[in-house]
Amino acid sequence: MHFDLQTIWAILVTVLIAGYIVTDGFDLGVGILHTIVAKTDIERRVTINAIGPVWDGNEVWFITAGGAAFAAFPELYAALFSSLYIALFVVLLALIYRAVSFEFRSKEESEGWRKFWDQSIFWSSLVVSLLIGVAVGNILAGIPIKNSAIEGDMLSGFVYTEKFPISFLNLVNPFTFHGLFGLLVGVTTVLFIILHGVSWLIWKTEGEVAERARSVALKVWPLFVVMYVVCTGIAYTISFKVSNPENVKYLNLPEDMLKQIASMLNNGVLEHALFRFPAIEFALIVLAALSAVGYFFAVKNMNGAKAFLFSTLTFLFAGFAVMFGAYPLAVPSSYGLEHSISIYNGCSSNYTLTVMLVAAIIFTPIVIAYQAWVYKMFLFKISAESLRKEIEEAKA
Amino acid sequence: MDFVLLVSRLQFAMTAFFHFLFVPLTLGLSTLSAIMLTLYYATNKEIYRDMAKFWAKLFAINFALGVATGLVHEFEFGMNWSVYSRFVGDIFGAPLAVEGLLAFFMESTFMGVYLFGWDKVPRGVHLLAAWLSSIGSNLSALWILIANGWMQHPAGAKVAETLAGKRAELTDWWGIVFNPVADVKFWHTATAGMVLSAVFVLAISAYHLLKKQHVEFFKRSAYIALVFGFIASVGEIIIGDIHAHEVAKTQPTKLAAGEALWETKKGANILLFAWADEEKQENVVEIPLPIPGLLSFLAAHDFNAEIKGAKDLQKQFEAQFGPGDYIPPVNFIFWAFHLMVYLGFYFVILFLLGLMKYKNLENSTGYLKMALYSLPLPYIACWLGWAFAEVGRQPWIVYPLTDDFGKILLPEIGLKTAQAVSPLTSVEVVITYLIFVLTFVGLAIADFYLLAKFATKGPEKEAELY
Ligand code: HDD
Ligand code: HEM
Ligand code: HEM
Repeated sequence: MHFDLQTIWAILVTVLIAGYIVTDGFDLGVGILHTIVAKTDIERRVTINAIGPVWDGNEVWFITAGGAAFAAFPELYAALFSSLYIALFVVLLALIYRAVSFEFRSKEESEGWRKFWDQSIFWSSLVVSLLIGVAVGNILAGIPIKNSAIEGDMLSGFVYTEKFPISFLNLVNPFTFHGLFGLLVGVTTVLFIILHGVSWLIWKTEGEVAERARSVALKVWPLFVVMYVVCTGIAYTISFKVSNPENVKYLNLPEDMLKQIASMLNNGVLEHALFRFPAIEFALIVLAALSAVGYFFAVKNMNGAKAFLFSTLTFLFAGFAVMFGAYPLAVPSSYGLEHSISIYNGCSSNYTLTVMLVAAIIFTPIVIAYQAWVYKMFLFKISAESLRKEIEEAKA
Repeated sequence: MDFVLLVSRLQFAMTAFFHFLFVPLTLGLSTLSAIMLTLYYATNKEIYRDMAKFWAKLFAINFALGVATGLVHEFEFGMNWSVYSRFVGDIFGAPLAVEGLLAFFMESTFMGVYLFGWDKVPRGVHLLAAWLSSIGSNLSALWILIANGWMQHPAGAKVAETLAGKRAELTDWWGIVFNPVADVKFWHTATAGMVLSAVFVLAISAYHLLKKQHVEFFKRSAYIALVFGFIASVGEIIIGDIHAHEVAKTQPTKLAAGEALWETKKGANILLFAWADEEKQENVVEIPLPIPGLLSFLAAHDFNAEIKGAKDLQKQFEAQFGPGDYIPPVNFIFWAFHLMVYLGFYFVILFLLGLMKYKNLENSTGYLKMALYSLPLPYIACWLGWAFAEVGRQPWIVYPLTDDFGKILLPEIGLKTAQAVSPLTSVEVVITYLIFVLTFVGLAIADFYLLAKFATKGPEKEAELY
């Protein structure tokens, strides 16, 4: 591993994605849980108001991760989003409905109106969580892209070769390896997001909603653990072939990294980089598992703050394990390693990376600081009673 | 035209127009509401508190859709314009990332504090949050317009080759931040947001004053809007003029189309009215403004300066870039530009009249009706402005870099829209286009229904809760 600009940016983009899953993750989780743990209208308003002031700020992590990927790894941004076109479209559509559902729901008294937006919140949160996982699983397993520069086309970049509808269906096709893996990672992500949402509800609300959330978590937790183990195990079987060792130069890897893989290239198969830092990855995976155990006991004791801390740590450790595993590849190609996007052939110029690094170093801590401050201000507990009282006071 | 290209363009234009249906109100109304809140905390008069709350509620309803449509925009570059994205990513991605980091976080985080913080957070914090969120909105406009300004005038860049192909690379960060085209674009758009919001507040106030309800409340709201709007609308024209001057320097083909100027001329005139026969490349009708040489003056600050006409530009571009159509649709561009300008003058008159009639505003039925029916006009002006800016830059998605006299400095950085599109199938783009159209239209209707509902209801004391 090198501590060069590209690596730092790989870490930074991972941090932004982790920021997204940690922050928006819990409100997605609350969105999924909200029809399950909240039965009456006032309870549903409790769950929504539990995330009311913060969900929009949380979603900005997604936008910023997208923006940062565009700025630091433009080839990745261009290739990935045009390849996963329909999947991303569905995610965007779900995010749109989610954003307006929160805003619109309370603005009409009618029961039908509110039920409609309740369903919309549930489905949109579920779809976003699932498809993000599906996308990550598919990317880790490799997608069919080709570097057109190898064939002399200097404008098109990395091009996806499958055409609609195959391109979309294959993402969730359980009869292909990457489709199956995508589905498994997708389900695991949903389970995690539910658990994370529970920890927020226990932290932020009291009364029946919190109680019901707890019992959901105790049931979901074992499933999540099994799925996480399965996904991690499968990830270690992934490998990529190299059809033309000559062309591996297109990955633009640093000298010593090339040397490191040179001996494996002759066999035509490169085992997935997941093997490259076994010690770090193993440590991270163990830490993720320990955090998950901590989570279980925190939820059992109804300690919301601790549960939130542990679910956050679970994701951070698991997420960084994946990043280290994939490094230095960003999007592996199923056509062979030489067609893959690495963090070295997909990145911006050193000048851009430097300028952006300065901006990130200055502003990321500021953002984290004021978001934490705002969270602290809104961390008072709410319940069906407190909400009812507030509505009545305002009317009086 | 290639079908995928056509639909991709339609889709992008559609998202942009929907986004800009909500954005300018966010830009201006956040400021207006923060001003009202400041008045409340300064004077302790309840009426300003109710005012801030009333307009903030409308703001919040509008904001939700601004976010929803903006989200699509952010990813559409990669989805529909992958070749463009990879070609310009080294430069164009940076302001987008900075926008998220610097502006969106600030805007949306503090908006949460403002909308949900009534009586829950200290007054000073609450006021600060209102202003930070308004500043955040306007900063987001700044960064996105720096990105857009760069594709209009790609300063601070070179073309380089990497292992994934040819692309534009950043050579001077401050060159793209202080790109003159981007900076006037920002001021012009920020003032457009203010004008639009002022008309919005004025029109809704007029509605209530016409019904003689909450007179005190809406008369004061109208006053704030009139003062704010008058200053902004005068500023709009001044900045608009500087903006036109930048276009004249950097995008000769847009200028020629915007003024329906076919032949190269010294001492060219401004046309008040024109209709062109685009096949024959001449104007069927034209009514010039009776000040000779004004176009030359506005474009080059010299009544005798030579302005290149469309015919010569077409020849020059063809010689340099090969066969193709380098002149954007003249009638469309001319009218987009001219109607925007006419509306710009109309708004000054609207606000001026209102200020003159202010003393007896609640009884000036004629004026109140005029104000109410003006509500759609600033929206139209904004759309016309964007249509002029974006359609006028065709066939380029990145306009070749020129010097200050329209001479092309860096031809190889020019990228045509037709080259920039993602290799998608027609089915994909059509499906997504149709679903986006249906979704946006449906949500916009629901949104306007709610806006109308709460706008006509008048002020109330209810807490902001979901
Ligand atoms: C309330 C809205 C509004 C009003 C009254 C005006 N404008 Fe405008 N104009 C815009 C809203 C706008 C805009 C939507 O904000 C645009 C679109 C692109 C941009 O940067 O701003 C724009 C673009 C735009 C452009 C094109 C920039 C480009 O091609 O890149 C010029 C030259 C002007 N304007 C000039 C004027 C003049 C001379 C005006 C008045 C006398 C005027 N505008 C009034
Ligand atoms: C919100 C206000 C905006 C509006 C109303 C708008 C309008 C349009 C329109 C009408 C087109 C289609 C032009 C044509 O096909 O003839 C277009 C294209 C495009 N615009 Fe904008 N635009 C806006 C802002 C922006 C900004 C801020 C950017 C960049 C940061 C941008 C980037 C593009 C791109 C990449 C295309 C696609 C290529 C093309 O057809 O030229 N737009 N826009
Ligand atoms: C003239 C052009 C534009 C201006 C002035 C502008 C400005 C704004 C403003 C003020 C907001 C926040 C308020 C609201 O959502 O109503 C916003 C939201 C957003 N815009 Fe734009 N925008 C423009 C074009 C674009 C383009 C081309 C993109 C895509 C890159 C984009 C991406 C977004 C996103 C992702 C959001 C949601 C942010 C949030 O959650 O707070 N905008 N835009």
